[in-house]
Amino acid sequence: MKKVINKLASILDDKRWDSVSIPILSILLSFICISIILLVMGKDPLLAFKSFLQGSGFWPKEKYGGGNGMLTDLFSFLNILAPMILAALGFVVGFKAGFFNIGISGQMLSAGFLAAVIVGYSDLNAVIAKPLVIIIGALAGGLLGAFVGFLKHKFNIHEVVSTIMINYIISYLTGFFINGYYSDAITRSMKISGANARLTWTNVQIAGVKCNIPLGIVLAIAAAFVVKFIFDKTVFGFELKAVGSNMRCARYTGINVGRHIVISLTISGALAGLAGVTYYCGYLNTIVPRTLSSLGYDAIAVALLGNSSPIGAIFASFLITIFQTGSNYMSSTVGVAKEIASLITGILLLFSACGGYFRYLAHRRMQRIQDEWDIKDNPLRKIIADNSDERKEEHIHG
Amino acid sequence: MEDYIVEMRNITKRFPGIVANDDVTIQVKRSEVFALLGENGAGKSTLMSILFGLYEPDKGEIYIRGNKVRFRSSNDATAHNIGMVHQHFKLVDNYTVAENIVLGIEPMNRALGILPYVDIKTANREISLLSQKYGLEVNPTDKIEDLPVSVRQRVEILKMLYREADILIFDEPTAVLTPQEIEFLLKIIDEMRKSGKTIILITHKIEEIKKIADRCAILHRGKLVAVLDVESTSSQDMANMMVGRMVEFAAVKQPPRYRETVLEVEHLSVRNANKFEVVKDVSFKIRGGEIFAIAGVAGNGQGEIADAITGMIQPHSGTIKLCGKDISGLSIRQRVEAGLSYIPEDRQGTGLFLDFNLDQNLCLRKYYKKPFANQHILNFSELESYAGILIDKYDIRSAQGIKTSLRSMSGGNQQKAIIAREIEEHAKLIIFVQPTRGLDIGAIEYIHKQILAEREKGVAILLISLELDEIMNLADTIGVLYNGEFLKIADASTMTSHDVGRYMMGVKGQ
Ligand SMILES: Nc1ncnc2c1ncn2[C@@H]1O[C@H](COP(=O)(O)OP(=O)(O)OP(=O)(O)O)[C@@H](O)[C@H]1O
Ligand SMILES: [Mg+2]
Repeated sequence: MKKVINKLASILDDKRWDSVSIPILSILLSFICISIILLVMGKDPLLAFKSFLQGSGFWPKEKYGGGNGMLTDLFSFLNILAPMILAALGFVVGFKAGFFNIGISGQMLSAGFLAAVIVGYSDLNAVIAKPLVIIIGALAGGLLGAFVGFLKHKFNIHEVVSTIMINYIISYLTGFFINGYYSDAITRSMKISGANARLTWTNVQIAGVKCNIPLGIVLAIAAAFVVKFIFDKTVFGFELKAVGSNMRCARYTGINVGRHIVISLTISGALAGLAGVTYYCGYLNTIVPRTLSSLGYDAIAVALLGNSSPIGAIFASFLITIFQTGSNYMSSTVGVAKEIASLITGILLLFSACGGYFRYLAHRRMQRIQDEWDIKDNPLRKIIADNSDERKEEHIHG
Repeated sequence: MEDYIVEMRNITKRFPGIVANDDVTIQVKRSEVFALLGENGAGKSTLMSILFGLYEPDKGEIYIRGNKVRFRSSNDATAHNIGMVHQHFKLVDNYTVAENIVLGIEPMNRALGILPYVDIKTANREISLLSQKYGLEVNPTDKIEDLPVSVRQRVEILKMLYREADILIFDEPTAVLTPQEIEFLLKIIDEMRKSGKTIILITHKIEEIKKIADRCAILHRGKLVAVLDVESTSSQDMANMMVGRMVEFAAVKQPPRYRETVLEVEHLSVRNANKFEVVKDVSFKIRGGEIFAIAGVAGNGQGEIADAITGMIQPHSGTIKLCGKDISGLSIRQRVEAGLSYIPEDRQGTGLFLDFNLDQNLCLRKYYKKPFANQHILNFSELESYAGILIDKYDIRSAQGIKTSLRSMSGGNQQKAIIAREIEEHAKLIIFVQPTRGLDIGAIEYIHKQILAEREKGVAILLISLELDEIMNLADTIGVLYNGEFLKIADASTMTSHDVGRYMMGVKGQ
């Protein structure tokens, strides 16, 4: 047992791998914790994990409905993964510059709504319509973000306050227009668009099964690498991090702090806007009036789980989305309420927040082992350690 | 053996890349003043943080009053009547003095016999009594944020006394005080010793140790070098032992060779947030090769003058000219590029990004320019090699070289990093605000040499300091600031430190 722990500590203490090994440990611990909860409920955890994977298309189900297959599930997983990554990226950009953008839901909704109203009902060619939807999404979200930045810079209004209020305003405003002008007679929701503007190709036949292919996933992965590049390599990204780290010192350094506040929140909002169009005009193709998507809030947890790094956001989105999309199927096969997905998200978040502590424990253990070795190897050292009391006495008198 | 109240045996504490305390053993007697002396980064704060339960040692044992103890948090230490005043104060800014002091052990009462509430009236009364007893004047209902540092320190001391500490640790208490306040604090410490308390004092100022301490332990790079009897050891010996080489106390200064005027400040007025004039119609000039020192008691407008020149705050009126060019309208970065360097007073809040690594902090004035950045892309190898050069040149010590996070560096080495960065700008004007606060004598000697070397090169230097010795040693011209106005500006050779001290207290005329 002791050997195993020592081995584990030496892996975790290795600087080259700790950005991978520590999250993996956190995830494993959360899985153990979740398994225990399931066991206590009298369910089989292995079966539960398997059906999460089945529900999101990573493991074949026993049987499929007409024309569907594992690929169908996988693509529908990717459809929801794309907005999740984009929304998490939106949060990451704000967070690195020191802001807590919880207006992602509102920014998503306004972007989706505007893109639907402007392009969704037109009969533009798909080659023009799809890019237009993307551009409108980024613009709408970006402008809202810029407004939040402006309020922050000019009037020192905290972004948490302004974004919460803006979320409500957007929700009611779009709700008003949808109910008044765009609502579908049967569903009472907004019917969005024809296939020309939709960011998901529906009912494509691949290997004999029907799939909905999302354009957004390419956009999302590309965006993650662009964000990573900006923060890691560019002067601008360095300055954003500086503003986020210590605004006063950023000013002292000569950075135009006000401008950077506005720009960072604009980018954050633009990414949220992209999440909005891939969500409403891709995955869902409908907007329920007066409802903010919970995805905009889940993205915050996802971003934090990914250690607020852009690449981390991809992996964290992946993990969380598996549990969220798979939860329906899991609940029907295992018989646990699908809300357990939120519980799992919470547990994952909890353990990943302990990452720094695990690292510390591992490091201390390695130090201890080192000390023991020193003394064993070197008999002289042991004698010195035993006699140092007297040695110090001499100093006092000498 | 039994009369030791505190014993720390064979303490070893490691941080990534460094052994902060290496097998250190100290023994403190009841009711003595025990001093800890050592260079910046020698491990003094770490050793005391271990005694106060903030860190657990990797190895070693602690005995308090002869009993072996193991502290898991500072609460455990408090339970053994140990108190500590930290190098950087730990008070809640928007709480009152009394609230800060009783925080955690509030006197409780029950309204109508049931509802518990904090009995702040009793607290206020108790604190007034306590502060009278020790001569530590505070007003229990003042908010911390409105108080000057010296009063905040009194609050920290009262906080220890309120918890009935009788082993009191002071981590560089005098670094933030004026000479008069230091005098006062030393007297208080002396009285506390007489009333039976044991005091451990960290300081860089050997004259303070001479004045107050009974014994003194010297740390050098984590190791205990010696424990000395203060009375029978000379100051020079202590200094040499601490730095590990000979130290010169006063820097050698060449006669001035002034060049043309570099900085011209005319009718500068600055108002604070409450529209109160903190700098009133101040005018002065600094020539190349001249050290112009502003002397004054803390809070008389010195910081605001520096901030106004560098653009950190907007003056209410007045003009600022650098080499004949009006810079009042320029942005901070434009002023820096026009030839201005600034070592700010608040090193952790303004001068550094504590969460960034040393290399990035050393490049804050350069990162966006060629060759450090090309087409908006940072060139990391350039940044790193430049930072490496500065670390060698200025002897900045850190655990992991250029990749050390600033937060983990000792206070003195943080300051050295700022000074290295700003001097290397080769500016026309360098503003030093409290450049040697909290530094060890070796580092002070070094920085004074640097300041004088810049002066020889013809740089204009504005030195703002609360240390009268520093001003008398370095200045060519002294301006004494009182209540936001210059009471006197004169050639340094025409004033004694006594004169300057009198002006600082607001005495006009001769
Ligand atoms: N929390 C920490 N993490 C990593 N390294 C640390 C930490 N605290 C201190 N160190 C390192 O340990 C060494 C000793 O630091 P310490 O603060 O005890 O020095 P000091 O003697 O108090 O110096 P100063 O006079 O400058 O305050 C330094 O090299 C410092 O960089
Ligand atoms: Mg210290």
